[in-house]
Amino acid sequence: MLIFVARRLGLMLLSALVLTFVVFYLTNLPPNLEKLARSEGSVRMTDEAVAQWIIDNGYGGSVIGRYGQWLGVVPGWSNVDEKGVPRGRCFAAGSDPALAPSYCGILQGDWGYSTYFRGPVLPNLGEKLGATGVLMLWVMIVMIPTSLLIGILAGMREGSRTDRVLSTFSIATTATPEYVSGVVLVALLASPVTGLSPLLSEWGVIDGKILFQGAASPDRITFWSFTLPVLTIALYGIGYIARMTRASMTEVMTAQYIRTARLKGVGFRQVVLRHALRNALIAPFTVIMLQFPWLLNGVVIVETLFNYKGFGWTLVVAAGNNDINLLLGCSVVAVFVVLVTQLISDIGYVFLNPRIRLS
Amino acid sequence: MAEAGGFVRSDPGRERPNLQFHFIPALLHDHGRRTAWGYGLTLHVCDLLPKSRGTLTLTSPDPAAPPRIRANYLTHPEDLPVLLNALKIGRRVLAAPALAQEAKVGGVLRCAMEVKGTKDPRLADWPQIANVYRGWLEYLIQYNADGTFEGRLLESWEANADATVYTLKVRPGVTWNNGDAFTADDVVRNFARWADGNVEGNAMASRFPGLVDAATKSLREGAVVKVDDMTVQLNMSESDVAVVPNLSDYPAAVVHASFVDGEDPSANPIGTGPYVPQEVSVGQKAVLVRAPNHTWWGGTAPLDEIHYIDFGTDPSTMVNLAASDEIDANYETTGDFIEQMDALGWKKLEIVTAATIVVRMNSATSDLYKDKAVRQAIQLAVDPKVVLELGYNNLGTTAENHHSCPVHPEYAPLPAQAFDASKLVPALEAAGIGGAEIEIISLDDGFEATTTAAVVAQLKDAGANVKHTVMPGSTFWNDWQKYPFSSTTWNHRPLAVQNMSLAYTSTGSWNETGMANADFDAAMVAALSLADADARREQMAKLQAILQDEGYIIQPYWRSLFAHVKEGFNVERHPSNEHQHYKWSLA
Repeated sequence: MLIFVARRLGLMLLSALVLTFVVFYLTNLPPNLEKLARSEGSVRMTDEAVAQWIIDNGYGGSVIGRYGQWLGVVPGWSNVDEKGVPRGRCFAAGSDPALAPSYCGILQGDWGYSTYFRGPVLPNLGEKLGATGVLMLWVMIVMIPTSLLIGILAGMREGSRTDRVLSTFSIATTATPEYVSGVVLVALLASPVTGLSPLLSEWGVIDGKILFQGAASPDRITFWSFTLPVLTIALYGIGYIARMTRASMTEVMTAQYIRTARLKGVGFRQVVLRHALRNALIAPFTVIMLQFPWLLNGVVIVETLFNYKGFGWTLVVAAGNNDINLLLGCSVVAVFVVLVTQLISDIGYVFLNPRIRLS
Repeated sequence: MAEAGGFVRSDPGRERPNLQFHFIPALLHDHGRRTAWGYGLTLHVCDLLPKSRGTLTLTSPDPAAPPRIRANYLTHPEDLPVLLNALKIGRRVLAAPALAQEAKVGGVLRCAMEVKGTKDPRLADWPQIANVYRGWLEYLIQYNADGTFEGRLLESWEANADATVYTLKVRPGVTWNNGDAFTADDVVRNFARWADGNVEGNAMASRFPGLVDAATKSLREGAVVKVDDMTVQLNMSESDVAVVPNLSDYPAAVVHASFVDGEDPSANPIGTGPYVPQEVSVGQKAVLVRAPNHTWWGGTAPLDEIHYIDFGTDPSTMVNLAASDEIDANYETTGDFIEQMDALGWKKLEIVTAATIVVRMNSATSDLYKDKAVRQAIQLAVDPKVVLELGYNNLGTTAENHHSCPVHPEYAPLPAQAFDASKLVPALEAAGIGGAEIEIISLDDGFEATTTAAVVAQLKDAGANVKHTVMPGSTFWNDWQKYPFSSTTWNHRPLAVQNMSLAYTSTGSWNETGMANADFDAAMVAALSLADADARREQMAKLQAILQDEGYIIQPYWRSLFAHVKEGFNVERHPSNEHQHYKWSLA
């Protein structure tokens, strides 16, 4: 078990290293650095000034060397600009370089400075992750019970009318990506000019102009503003998990021991609840854990669509503004989330299914 | 709900009061049966002694059946005059000074606007950046929405006949919010900051050529002189008519002596204005609150707080926020969204401006557009009327391809251009670039995209091989001056010479066409020495004619700018998108 976990952690570090290097390389391509210089300095800078800005702000030199600085295995850059002000990676412009540590990378716990947020990466990223965590929590609260219920109801009598209706619903929702369902939901429920809201408003059913809010803010989480973002992410997952649960449930329901139980005269309700359910939930457990990485994917789309300032939104603005340190921070977090959920899923599997041994 | 009331006589000759007033501090329609939106008050009046008589009769022997009620309102000839008098009395009550007063002190206004990182004002490249630091940084001179200039930190100013010497009088009694007095020294120091051409991206540096020493690219010795504590004199080496408008433009905010050049002004917000920033979160929000322990020279700014909410760049999100009461005003409403915001019952604020879009060729970065005949043929193949209709829903007026607008004081009318699409292909073939692909680049969204598409479509119809490439804003603006053929939005500026000298002189810092015409440069120098707009018009006619004839720009229309505000708030629409916060209030 321990060897397994250690191997997994090793894999995680390796993935993080490779991914961050790729991101680092791409964000440090010369055109991207020029873009950064113009947005940080001024759009009116000349080409020479841009080149100077790149050197002054520590973006000169080899990519590998700068990647090492970010990691914290190479000493951070420092220089003196034309006004005589010392500048460097490890200290604020103008302060005494002698007092600053020479290494300040992610290994030393320094995630760097975000050029977009104009502040250190870590607290900003932490705050945004917290906001996304709240969103995820509500998605899970809605998604897991709904999908398991649908899957079990559909799977306990394969081929019945209930099964067909619920399966159709599941396939429809899982076949609709977030960027479609989100836009449809907003147009239908959250627009003051189209969909249901103008009708309901005219009839006097709702007080305001719109049924649900099409934008959410982490500062003020309400049923009104959170319904659509949560629904958009959850719908996709509901269909997927429900179908997995249904497949697992139908398989279990045809097993020998269920037939034996039925023949012994156990009631259908008892058979489902006592005998079938535990075995049927093994597969959905893995699927749910694997949904976390998928949720990250959905979060990027949904947070941008609903303008919810969380991790996904941060990723988009970091990429849009070529904010190197912020983007690297996002990558580290993404790798961590994906691999940790997989680790939990593998370990949890062992407890749920005694036939599996991790060695 | 009725918080006040009273009985009055409809005319003084009566013995007893016959009218009753109910005052309700809310909007009321149909006795509250219909919901009213917004804030307001209601004064309700009724005639207590009407002479008209109605009837109440049974309709059937069944006691449960409803009776027949006939009100017979206003059937007696004396009742209507009584009610008319009642209405007149009610209007007199509402016109009383206490109710008719304009600005209420207090309240919070939430405005939807992109929150960009605040930077050193002279480096600011977006009005949105300035609208945040306007809370605490003020200007020497202010450009008002009605086109006038008003002294703010200056009490007054005077120019000599040929616009070479300006005398600036500092406003007495102005203090910084740290307690320091505002004096002539502050003015001189800020001029030195503005004139510093060694700072890359300094938007002010090219604006005071008469104050700069060309060799050191900084303020010339003796150019800005402190006469006494309250007087500063500008001694220009050449005439300049744009000094006043330049001092009012958004990068010209006046900063304190402790301001570190290049730093974020919100980090240490010392200013003369009524507010200070409580929070500036890029891409999220900015909050301005009243400066503590500071007596603003202008008195009391009405609003307690101003919140800027960043909703991204999608206007449909803005409409949604408006509908869900998350914002009270917006920065700008464009295109189709004007109707949607109107439909929400918000007040539409419109201002006719010299803001425009220029679809221009660049001869410095592309060989295709080096030939003037080619440029002219392309320009004349595009009918501005069609572009205004397809690209901007007719929310403006057509322009004449020379970037000088009838709202500018020095505008000179020129003969109308003859548009002819059939000459495009022969002109391209004559230049040997018959089949060459003409790529036009624009932003991927908004009127910039639709306008460019309308230009592209017309050139295609004329037989040219045209391709429309779109880019998101985050990448488009990196190379905006260098694209061979692209569209650029231009903000309103008070004088026509301002945009023209920035964009079309060979040394203009925002020259995006590669145009270098010696006659144009010479006429511009002449125009910039004439402080009087009527005298300048002769040179302007020359400038307009050259610019139009060079064919670099397709400048199809002038934009009317719009914004919306919820009922119950007073906000002003400014032609340069300036937010003069002290003019805002709850209604």
